[in-house]
Amino acid sequence: MRWRAEKNTPWLLLSPAILTILFVVAIPLLFSFYTSLTPYKLTRPETINNFIGLRNYERLFDDAKFWWAFGRTILFLAIALNVEFILGLGIALLINKITWGQRTLRTIMMFPMMFSPILVGFQFKFIFNDHIGILNNALQGLGIMDDSIAWLVDKPLGMFSIIFAEVWMSTSVFAILLLAGLFAMPRDPLEAAKVDGCNPWQVFRHITLPFIMPFAFIAMTIRSLDVARAYDIVDVMTGGGPAGRTEVLWTLIARVGYDNAKMGQANAMAYVSTLLSILFTYYFFTKLVAARRYMGGAE
Amino acid sequence: MNRRLKSRIGKTALWIATFLLMLVICIPGLWVVLSAFRPNSEILAKPAIWIPRDLTLDNFAQIFGFGQEQVAIPVLSYFTNSMVIALTSTAIAVLIGMSGGYAFARFRFLGKNSLFLGLMLSRAVPGIALSLPVFMIWSKLGLIDTKMGIIIVYVAINVPFTIWLIDGFFRQIPKEMNESAQVDGCTRWQAFWKIEFPLARSGIASAGVFAFLTSWNEYALVSQLSRSTDSKTLPVGLMDFTSQFTINWAGMCAMAFIIIVPALILTFLVQKHLIAGLTFGGVKG
Amino acid sequence: MKSSKLRLLLASAIVPLALTGAPAIAGDFDGVELRVKLIGGDQYEPLYAEIEKWEAETGATVNILSRKNHFELDREIKQDIAAGTLDWCVGSNHTSFAPQYGSIYRDLNGVIDASVIAEFDALAIENSTVHDRLVQLPRHSDVSNMYYLKSVFEDQGNKDGFKAKYGYDLAPPETWDQVKDQAIFLTKGPDFFGTQYVGKDEAITGRFYELLVANGGALFDDDWNPTFNSAAGVEAVSWFKDLYDAGAVPKGVLSYLWGETGNGFASGTIALNLDWGGWASYFNSADATAGNVGLIRAPKGSAGIRTGWSGSHTFSITESCDNVPAAASFVTFLTDYDRQMVEASKGLLPTRTQVWVDATAHFKADGNAFLANVMEVYSQSMAEDAFTPPLIPEWIEVSNEIWPRLQSAILGEMTIQAALDEAAEAAAEVMEDAGY
Repeated sequence: MRWRAEKNTPWLLLSPAILTILFVVAIPLLFSFYTSLTPYKLTRPETINNFIGLRNYERLFDDAKFWWAFGRTILFLAIALNVEFILGLGIALLINKITWGQRTLRTIMMFPMMFSPILVGFQFKFIFNDHIGILNNALQGLGIMDDSIAWLVDKPLGMFSIIFAEVWMSTSVFAILLLAGLFAMPRDPLEAAKVDGCNPWQVFRHITLPFIMPFAFIAMTIRSLDVARAYDIVDVMTGGGPAGRTEVLWTLIARVGYDNAKMGQANAMAYVSTLLSILFTYYFFTKLVAARRYMGGAE
Repeated sequence: MNRRLKSRIGKTALWIATFLLMLVICIPGLWVVLSAFRPNSEILAKPAIWIPRDLTLDNFAQIFGFGQEQVAIPVLSYFTNSMVIALTSTAIAVLIGMSGGYAFARFRFLGKNSLFLGLMLSRAVPGIALSLPVFMIWSKLGLIDTKMGIIIVYVAINVPFTIWLIDGFFRQIPKEMNESAQVDGCTRWQAFWKIEFPLARSGIASAGVFAFLTSWNEYALVSQLSRSTDSKTLPVGLMDFTSQFTINWAGMCAMAFIIIVPALILTFLVQKHLIAGLTFGGVKG
Repeated sequence: MKSSKLRLLLASAIVPLALTGAPAIAGDFDGVELRVKLIGGDQYEPLYAEIEKWEAETGATVNILSRKNHFELDREIKQDIAAGTLDWCVGSNHTSFAPQYGSIYRDLNGVIDASVIAEFDALAIENSTVHDRLVQLPRHSDVSNMYYLKSVFEDQGNKDGFKAKYGYDLAPPETWDQVKDQAIFLTKGPDFFGTQYVGKDEAITGRFYELLVANGGALFDDDWNPTFNSAAGVEAVSWFKDLYDAGAVPKGVLSYLWGETGNGFASGTIALNLDWGGWASYFNSADATAGNVGLIRAPKGSAGIRTGWSGSHTFSITESCDNVPAAASFVTFLTDYDRQMVEASKGLLPTRTQVWVDATAHFKADGNAFLANVMEVYSQSMAEDAFTPPLIPEWIEVSNEIWPRLQSAILGEMTIQAALDEAAEAAAEVMEDAGY
């Protein structure tokens, strides 16, 4: 009897979670999938009853705009995550060395995490504005530039600006985790290496870095879960433009789905972008599990 | 002498680097906060006016309805809604997280890893893919423009992460403690509340903090699911305000100020918990 | 016993019946809650301050569910259509957006007295009619004319320099070519620019469209084939591109919408600005430009036609409205004589014929030469130059195919002809899909 109850307990405990996710995520996803098989138009709700099979998906394959947005999204994420890692590492190393006022520094470092993504978007839209933005004003005031730089318009600068905003917002996640890793590192190997005459770079590369990698993977996993928040930033700063220069998957989906009211098509795109998110997350998660096992052993 | 000099230069360099770093982090926010207190004409002036000539509370007055022709922005309603929604969804998400986290930490069962992965991946679905279907289902259920409707969605968003964190914390507590309490005569349930829960308290708190922040700052879903001051939150209010007053930069900064301040206060209060939560829960789980 | 009780019941019922049978005057809609969705923005707000008067008069309360800019409002309305949540009565509308909404709005011809409708501008009413249904009641119209900074044009140094360089006198421009010359000459970047334009979304499509027409071109031919990639179209886009290349417009124009251009001119850093009447009083009272603003009619294109892209902001009543009389009363109130006079005093162009006349007289009497001039200039353009984009449901979708290519051309990513050709192809596909 007790054994049977034991078997059911975890499922019982997990049932609220499972139910919630089913209700809020799984069912709408199924609905989305169904509409992606129809020419559903928001303004003509009856179109949801036409079944056209995979035609929306077929159209996607020919759609250059979609693939550009897809590529741009991957580029955006790849650059952002890597930059956040490197900067986060730098910040963690820096703060680790400082003994006085560390708590204040840690608090300040966490500020950007507290901001709502749309707030971050507006903040940088304001700062990068070509006419009245503080950045251009500063450059002109200091005499460095005679002209305004259109941070949100020029070809490479548009992507730079949104990546900058995203990095500003999320580097703290990496910094905190890597700092914690640095704190948790046992001193002995470090001391031993110094005694053996290794220079700081070697110590870092062979001892510090491997130890904190698990922490880095956690951060990557956490980030990849939240990655779609970047939509808020891009939407506010550039709307995906001009001329689609900063168009990422999410802004494209919103435009096709809401502005053009072509929901069926937009849902097909959304499915592809969901797959992308899942792949990213899965990739980092497996790395994390492997690293955890390593950590468990080291403990 | 040489070594001391080297170390002093090193330390100064360190401090300079740190200072610059803090500047980059803080300046955007500080500039927005400063601009909230300047009149729009100063912000738009070219060449730029660096030292504020006029500091004014006009922008805030406008928001709260003391301007000449503007009707008040219901900031208080937005704030209350944000509070209620964030707190409630956090409480529920943490409860579900405790329940689920315990299950993952203490039990072995078939499909455990896949279920865990599945729950995590549900978070990876972009809000934009969910927003219309959720809207349509919610409207059939009459949940549009209700705080409850948004709370349910936020719980679903937060559950994967709370489960993950709390699972990690429970794992750190040796199973033996529960078992020895049972030997002493407690039921499993009592043992949980007496032994394991208190030990995992800080982890649970940090999970709560993350959930709260996520709910407080979320925009994409709540903008679809809310319609009036019955359920609109601060981020939606900010966007509405900027849409309403088409790029009134000063006003937008003022609104941003109103949103940032609670978040900043929260940071001060909980930074210890956040770090503890991320590291212990996430890593050693 | 039963019958006497019944009689008592009937008798007591007659009293309230008698009361409600009274003629329809104040207090009509006691306890009614009218749910509405309105457009928000600086210039639209003054009207909403008047709503409490209607509430006091009729005893109803107005619940403003949403107050957003038109693109956001459009998204919201489309969502409501999809989900069937049209549980509100009155919505802000616009002649360019109305055709896409299908039949969710009622025909006001049966709902509002014909005599009331007759008091409005015939052209405005015509543009508010889709498939013979008057789906919206016009609130104010917009058409754009050319604002300029008087000091810049009166400056002798400018005058001499310009005459020397271009061979004709510096004066507020009559043609778009002159605008280009003057803008390039007057620019002193990055603090002062000759002109500016809106650079994305339906806004830039509209500007392109009106310049196209002013140059003698057309968007579609009679069979709905796109014809905007003609020579006239290329000429129109060149105007945008040449100014951008010469640095005569702020670098960020391609991310500008009406708020940026409005604030830009009001900050005194732009010499020439094509804009609607709604900004007029703001321009004339802003710190940097007060008393220095002039207004002339929109310049002509190469075909001798003046640009005149116009539309009207309107109000509509939903088919699913649960209290049509209240909604009709509200909508009529918002567009009645007094309300339109309030909006006219801000420079918003009325749609009631009488208000035009009276507002202009009012300003003249007040000695407000600026606003009197504004009224006169705009009334001329409304009467003679105004034209709307094709009032079809596909307008927004076609626009979404056009404006990114316009941006590409301006940025030099594609040649103008190639960009327009690509847009024309995409537009043709949209029209085909829609069944034209």
